Amino acid sequence: MMTMSKSTHAPAPASGSAGPGVPISPPARKSRRRLPRNASLILGLILTTIFLTVALVSFFYLPSNPNIPVIRNRLLPAGTPGHWLGTDVLGRDIIAQLMVGARTSILVGAGGATLSLILGTIAGLAAAASGKITDEAISRGADILLSIPGMVTALVLAATMGSGALTTILALTAFFTPSFTRVIRSAAMGVLNEDFITAAKLYGRGKIFVLARHVLPNIAGVMIVQFTLYFAAGILTEAGLSYLGVGVHRPSISWGLMLNEAQQQVGVSSPLAIWPGLAIVLMVLGLNLLGDGLRDVLDPKLARRAS
Amino acid sequence: MTKPQTNRPDALEVQNLVVHNTVLTAVRGIDFTLPAGGRMGLVGESGSGKTLTALSLMGLLPMGWQANGTVRHDGVDLITQSDKAFSSRRGRTISMVFQDPLSSLDPVRRIGFQVSSVIRRHTKASKQEAEAQTLELFRQMSLPRPEQLMRAYPHEISGGQRQRVMIAMALACYPQLIIADEPTTALDVTVQKQVLRILNNAVQERGCALMMITHDLPIIAAMCDTVAVMYAGRIVEMGPVSEVFRAPRHHYTKGLLDSQPTMDNIALDGSSRLASIPGMVPPLHSLPRGCAFHPRCSAASDRCRAEVPQLETGQRRAACWHPIEAGADATVQAGVTA
Amino acid sequence: MTRPFDEHHLTPPLLEMRQVTQTYLLNRKSLLGARPSLTVLDNVSFDVRPGEAVGLVGESGSGKTTLTRILTGMEKPKQGHVFYNGADVWAGDGERWRNFRRSVQVVMQSPRSSLDPRMRIGLSLLEPLRALKIEGDHVARVHEVLDQVGMTRQALERYPHEFSGGQLQRIAIARALMPAPKVLIADEPVSALDVSIQAQVLNLLKDLVRELGLSLVFIAHDLSVVAYTTSRVSVMSAGRIVEVGKPLDLFTKPQAEATQNLVGAILTVEAGLAGNALA
Repeated sequence: MMTMSKSTHAPAPASGSAGPGVPISPPARKSRRRLPRNASLILGLILTTIFLTVALVSFFYLPSNPNIPVIRNRLLPAGTPGHWLGTDVLGRDIIAQLMVGARTSILVGAGGATLSLILGTIAGLAAAASGKITDEAISRGADILLSIPGMVTALVLAATMGSGALTTILALTAFFTPSFTRVIRSAAMGVLNEDFITAAKLYGRGKIFVLARHVLPNIAGVMIVQFTLYFAAGILTEAGLSYLGVGVHRPSISWGLMLNEAQQQVGVSSPLAIWPGLAIVLMVLGLNLLGDGLRDVLDPKLARRAS
Repeated sequence: MTKPQTNRPDALEVQNLVVHNTVLTAVRGIDFTLPAGGRMGLVGESGSGKTLTALSLMGLLPMGWQANGTVRHDGVDLITQSDKAFSSRRGRTISMVFQDPLSSLDPVRRIGFQVSSVIRRHTKASKQEAEAQTLELFRQMSLPRPEQLMRAYPHEISGGQRQRVMIAMALACYPQLIIADEPTTALDVTVQKQVLRILNNAVQERGCALMMITHDLPIIAAMCDTVAVMYAGRIVEMGPVSEVFRAPRHHYTKGLLDSQPTMDNIALDGSSRLASIPGMVPPLHSLPRGCAFHPRCSAASDRCRAEVPQLETGQRRAACWHPIEAGADATVQAGVTA
Repeated sequence: MTRPFDEHHLTPPLLEMRQVTQTYLLNRKSLLGARPSLTVLDNVSFDVRPGEAVGLVGESGSGKTTLTRILTGMEKPKQGHVFYNGADVWAGDGERWRNFRRSVQVVMQSPRSSLDPRMRIGLSLLEPLRALKIEGDHVARVHEVLDQVGMTRQALERYPHEFSGGQLQRIAIARALMPAPKVLIADEPVSALDVSIQAQVLNLLKDLVRELGLSLVFIAHDLSVVAYTTSRVSVMSAGRIVEVGKPLDLFTKPQAEATQNLVGAILTVEAGLAGNALA
């Protein structure tokens, strides 16, 4: 589909020579029109890949230890050789911190999104495929959970379990699962209303088979798109929690934590807040673009129309 | 085509209309003229381009589709109209009746309000005047209990009634042209006739032109003076309905007519067969060379496979290298030479 | 109701529903009121004999859909019985049920919706055999059935979106034929198709009935389509079967009001050209 815009321009040559009925060959603008949708996918993919790579590299190589203070190097400006983005108030390298921060952000964001995807899919499919009572119970349960602010959940969890990456993941899961449940439920209901489900039931396929072999493949696109969007939301929420001091702590580093520390230095060195902020913006933007791009590619209705 | 009784300008004059998106060309250059008060049918199967033709006339093409060519109506070229100019024209000089009346009406507004607001948008009528006109329209549509209907919501009335409300709305501002796209397909068979009759009478009384878009040949036969048969984005045959349907010149038209179940092929013993056109409508992205119909045509020759036949000129036109001549069984002759 | 066809007295029905009444409970109108009920089928009997093609027509809301659901076993009748080959399908053991499932197959209205868009055609065709645990050479069966519906083997590796509506309906018919059923129930099988394709599918159904000795139950809202395909037609209205007869008799001398409405609703090209179609 994506390659089509380049290769299938030529108007049917067979009819090209004939009289007034000639199809006007559509102008070259058409590829530009098609571009935005591919562009968001590609840009999203590039941004996400960069951050994933950075996070992976951080396990093997760091320019310096991001946790050990080196007082003589404190508050070096960006552009200093060896510390290209500068250092913070304790002389710790910003790049090294951002690299470890990418690791935490991705771990927490992906962890929260994955856990809530799994739980939400199970609950959503159960709600869609079982009787009215189960459906009502699950749906109303999701409504109640959604009405509890995510921050409250996170604060309660942090107070009882102590804050940290794992707590943040659990808080995100508690926060995202109800939304996932709703999305999966309505997507699954749509598929379950199709005639091929009736056909499968008619030749004796059970619920589990129908859900696994017919419903899941047909909602996979929705699941992937939702995953990327909640991945992004997870990173944002983690940043918020760490910024408030109920997220991760040293020696762990996250972008939100860096923001929190930089905030205490505002006035001394404002640019310190820019780097983690930029990282959050770019990562979240990348994931959202990826999600939007994937939605266009994976939506079976759009795909069908294009083919 | 029937001569207009008056010397009013044509309701619609379409020249070399092409509708395309970035990848596909769905309508590949069609020409026709609909005189004031004329009634034309546009027949075609899915993928023939008939619906995109209609939507381009209304300036309602879906995202990504674009129309080129000339569509002259009321002294202006609709293709070059801006969206704003178009929307002031929609409902006033051209209006449309869609296939699904339920999704064409606002579910949370009372029916009377919806129809009278169309009148108020395009005329200087006051609220009371518009409501009075709406009531009168409902009476003309033979809608039962029009006063109560004014206060009803779309879901509270039947499909046939909803479609009559849509027709009333389309007629509200005395348009010069009504485009009806499969107006009875979503309705129960038993109310189809009634809705068609009402549409027919309303159009006749007002002398407004009608363009009927459907795949259903009997509807065209009942409602229209002229017919254009579309296949794969082109008009393949055009002329007065009575002549085209009694003596089709294009093999596709003949195939369509033959595949209608009629009293003759309703089986006494279940042994009769319907004539059918073999194969399928070609997808837009892989149209065959030459005449788009040739892979399904019994009369196809080498010429059909190589060159696109042009629509003849005159009243009775077909785009075919081996048109069926009246009286002679051209199908067989051409089949032998092929 | 007396049976109008004496010759059919000799063969017992293959699939039969006897005196079925189906009611649905509606939502309460007031908080404390009893739930009102809606009778969708009112003491309806319907049958098809081996090798026979029967039709069922009616407007929307006449009970056609519910009758179809009961006949195919999608819904259990609240009163009355469904018999296959003389045995009550809801009363017997699993084996009887499986036999019923295997022998009565359905073709639905929308070919796009009736095939899983994410499943290759080949797998969709194998599904009934696997689900019903039918032994034998599955590949040979797939090829045989594809031939019967006039599709080529290239179809097997492809996905539904690569086909037109008419081709998909052939594939849906092929899938219904896979377990070698005795009864084919076709629920509005051509109303979603283009005119030129409708004739192809109608002819295919007719050929299958003749060549495979299938029984066919053809359900539609359009009397002329049903009449073309079947030799005995039941007319439904307001949850009852109001008239049964040969197609030609229904056309020429319709008795029940519902039949007269349906016959009167038919538009033909001839009537249109004569100028009296809308009279």
